[in-house]
Amino acid sequence: MIVAEQKPLEEIRRMIAPYQRVLILGCGTCMTVCDAGGELEVSFLHNALQLAQARSGDVAHTFYEHTLKRQCDPEFLGLLDEKTADVDVILSLGCGIGVQAVAERLPDMPVLPGVNTSFMGMTKESGVWDERCAACGDCRLEDTAGICPITRCTKGILNGPCAGPKKGKCEANKDMDCAWILIYQRLERLQQLDKMRRYYPPRNYRPIPRPRRITSKAGTMAGEGNG
Amino acid sequence: MNVANQSYPENRSENASDHSLVPPCQDACPLHMDIREYVGLVSQGRIMEALQVIRTGNPFPSICAYVCTHPCEDACRRSQVDKPIAIRSLKRFAVEFGGDRMVRAEAETKHAEKVAIVGSGPAGLACAYYLKKLGYAVTVLEAHSELGGMLRVGIPQYRLPREVLNIEVQRLIRMGVEIRTDTRVVSLDLLFELGYKAIFITIGAHQSLRMGIEGEESPGVIDGATFLREVNLGLKPSLGKRVAVVGGGNVAIDAARTATRLGIKKVSILYRRSRAEMPADPKEVEQALEEGIDIIYLVTPTIIKRENKRLNVTCVRMELGEPDESGRQRPVPIKDSVFIEKFDTLIAAIGQAPQTPSDFGVRIGRGSTIQVDPSTLTTNRVGVFAGGDAVTGPATVTEALAAGRLAALRIDDYLQHRYPLPVKETKEKLGGDLLPKTIEMIKKIERVEPPNLAFEARAKDFETVELVYGWEQAINEARRCLRCGVGVEILFQDKCATCLTCLRVCPYHVPYLDVSGTIRIPADQCQACGICVAECPAKAIVLRKPFDRRQVTDELGHTIKSAAESKNKPLIIGFCCQYGLYGTGTLARLWRGAKAGVSIVPVLCVAKVEATHLLSAFKTGAEGVFVAGCGEQCARENTTYWVKQRVAKVRKVLGSIGLEPERLQVFALSSTAEDPAEELDKFVEQIGSLRLASVIKGEVKS
Ligand SMILES: Cc1cc2nc3c(=O)[nH]c(=O)nc-3n(C[C@H](O)[C@H](O)[C@H](O)COP(=O)(O)OP(=O)(O)OC[C@H]3O[C@@H](n4cnc5c(N)ncnc54)[C@H](O)[C@@H]3O)c2cc1C
Ligand code: SF4
Ligand code: SF4
Ligand code: SF4
Repeated sequence: MIVAEQKPLEEIRRMIAPYQRVLILGCGTCMTVCDAGGELEVSFLHNALQLAQARSGDVAHTFYEHTLKRQCDPEFLGLLDEKTADVDVILSLGCGIGVQAVAERLPDMPVLPGVNTSFMGMTKESGVWDERCAACGDCRLEDTAGICPITRCTKGILNGPCAGPKKGKCEANKDMDCAWILIYQRLERLQQLDKMRRYYPPRNYRPIPRPRRITSKAGTMAGEGNG
Repeated sequence: MNVANQSYPENRSENASDHSLVPPCQDACPLHMDIREYVGLVSQGRIMEALQVIRTGNPFPSICAYVCTHPCEDACRRSQVDKPIAIRSLKRFAVEFGGDRMVRAEAETKHAEKVAIVGSGPAGLACAYYLKKLGYAVTVLEAHSELGGMLRVGIPQYRLPREVLNIEVQRLIRMGVEIRTDTRVVSLDLLFELGYKAIFITIGAHQSLRMGIEGEESPGVIDGATFLREVNLGLKPSLGKRVAVVGGGNVAIDAARTATRLGIKKVSILYRRSRAEMPADPKEVEQALEEGIDIIYLVTPTIIKRENKRLNVTCVRMELGEPDESGRQRPVPIKDSVFIEKFDTLIAAIGQAPQTPSDFGVRIGRGSTIQVDPSTLTTNRVGVFAGGDAVTGPATVTEALAAGRLAALRIDDYLQHRYPLPVKETKEKLGGDLLPKTIEMIKKIERVEPPNLAFEARAKDFETVELVYGWEQAINEARRCLRCGVGVEILFQDKCATCLTCLRVCPYHVPYLDVSGTIRIPADQCQACGICVAECPAKAIVLRKPFDRRQVTDELGHTIKSAAESKNKPLIIGFCCQYGLYGTGTLARLWRGAKAGVSIVPVLCVAKVEATHLLSAFKTGAEGVFVAGCGEQCARENTTYWVKQRVAKVRKVLGSIGLEPERLQVFALSSTAEDPAEELDKFVEQIGSLRLASVIKGEVKS
């Protein structure tokens, strides 16, 4: 899941300053799960902005709120049309993808990001998330016992560990487990320690053209561009 | 449109968005009273409103408050945790402190049809009450000189003070019910000839069953119902020195305790089974033992011989054998265990049956009971209805009241030529037991019993034995209610992101993932704490009752509105829990406006105060906001913890817009503290000086 964090209130207030009518737009999928932009956060932000406005006596914004099931699908965005007729700006609490999808759908509407999209991760405990995947596009988890060194090793090295770990912790952050020690231990458990003894050549990022596109449709013609 | 039926709970039109379920207590009550609701009101100290709820469901609540056999308590789910809620005692508290004796019942006659009610027991009186309210002319005909049936001539005064009964009777007379006492009805034809259009037969079950043993007719042998009737009607039967009561039901216990109160020192109860099988209420048995009554189990009399003005009673000892059709073990005589005891009087209290005059012309069925259609209470004769003990055999006061109410509704249908509406149960019942993992997390809170009259003081006269709760006792007892069936539901399943927050925050481990990966919140486990409602990031969860859903928002709205009307911005807004301290009145001074500028938003547990409510309070211009809960005394788990989380979140917002975070506080007020309001006073002072400082800086106008 994509994990994000709501931007500080001060930053949001600065962004919306030039606009009068603001639609706060939540997202019902990842942003809901990571407490950054679901319906609850939308209404909390709405109230916080109103309070800030009442206390400061600045420009009077009018706020609206709405939450879509997902901002990253055009069909859901179609449901937005009637909501946007009377607004000057959309403050999207979707991830960076949501913000762009909304912008693409509404060419004449300024769209502002209300959250800082941070990483792809998993829940550690209620309200705490950890990064797990860098979306490198060339997954090597088979060789590393299901533990990603690119994301979880501070240095992102492919042939670890480095010379630094102390008592299983990373030399750059002693509160963090060394990913390569974890990989070693798990390979040992799985009786695959031979995988440790191999050398993995540096990865070549060059052939990955950005932005990437994936299609699951069979029969798509080769050579179709991104446009 | 059936206007008349609207005022009765069974037909109350239900709010479609009310998804609450019928709790087991209400389901077990023959009158179907809204127990959860009035117990909830008592726990907030809202006694008058509690009484109103009680009166909607019960024509004579003060009578039930003394003598109801409380099947509701037997069904109460709290007994799976520790002990059931003391529902009857709470009702007694509500009727006494809520001023039930002051309530005026009014009615006017608007129909031409007259109805006759034969018998003035609880069934007859309830029917008279409801028919009168429906606008009929009603006449109650009673064989005895006084009204009340078994309430008058059966139940002893120490359990039901006659003053309580008299108040109800007077209320009926004031409503315009016509009373004919000393009138034994022998034929119904005459009543029809007199112009009555419908007749309700409620003649009870007054014929004592016979023991079927030799010597039963001897002088000195009397049946329980007759004995109690004589005492209740003011006669003083002479009993001699030593009295035996045969039987194990409530009538036997009542007869024995009554004999004690007539000054008999040696009263023995002979019961043919053991204590475990005794149908009498265990509490009554306990009190009888306290009063010095001897209960001899597993014994039955077989022959009575009168000699020298005394009774030689031959008894035989019993043992328990195979279970009979009632499921209880059948007592069988033990060989060669015969013994003889001497008594002056033997009271046989082994049961009663109805005795219906044959000229009534109604069909009689099993156990001499009158046969009726259970949903309409109609007999085989047109226009003749029957209910109460006469139909069921000896039962209870509440069942008789329910029969009386049903009869009134059906007689109304009959007289207005309406097809009787089936009693519609629109709400689902809450079934299922609490799971061990839920029970484990529910706080155990000891049941508070009302005090009893000291037993030395009891046996001398007919003073009421059970006393009434004090204010604080009642509130603490009422707070134990688990509020079954008004918990939460995922109202918007499509909004649910299956984030699992609810599953993680619920203190009782209620939400779970089903095999298909859908989150479920089972109604029968939810403790209605409301924590997940405020934490669900998708706002998919709501409380089942619309009132509960809106409560905090609505109350905040009222506060803001009344502040706006008075043109005084509230200086401080406090979200205060209504259970506990406020209920007991300890903090009532805040209500009285003694603290100028403090507005209170009453909430039903602080766990239901959401972060946005706190922001909204500040939006009104309040300089300070606080949340005051009961801390350790809260009947639910983790409530303070969660409200503190939300407060921390709102404080961050305050900081980022230049307001001191200390303007928002959480207090856990305990009634055991010397001055629970001390912290609050300090806060009010502090906010006052913050405000003063900003006035000086010119930020706000004074
Ligand atoms: C000793 C005792 C203790 C009890 N304790 C409790 C208790 O604690 N809790 C509880 O819930 N229940 C208790 N009960 C049971 C309860 O009292 C009865 O179930 C209830 O009173 C039945 O009500 P009813 O209206 O059907 O009949 P009743 O109360 O029996 O009233 C019938 C009335 O009809 C009158 N009548 C009979 N024939 C005629 C006629 N031909 N013409 C005119 N009038 C007539 C009778 O005189 C009587 O007044 C007790 C019963 C007894 C005997
Ligand atoms: S706990 Fe309350 S709602 Fe539940 S059965 Fe008992 S009295 Fe009724
Ligand atoms: S907290 Fe709300 S969104 Fe999350 S699983 Fe529960 S009901 Fe669904
Ligand atoms: S209301 Fe309370 S008890 Fe019920 S599911 Fe939510 S958190 Fe659990």
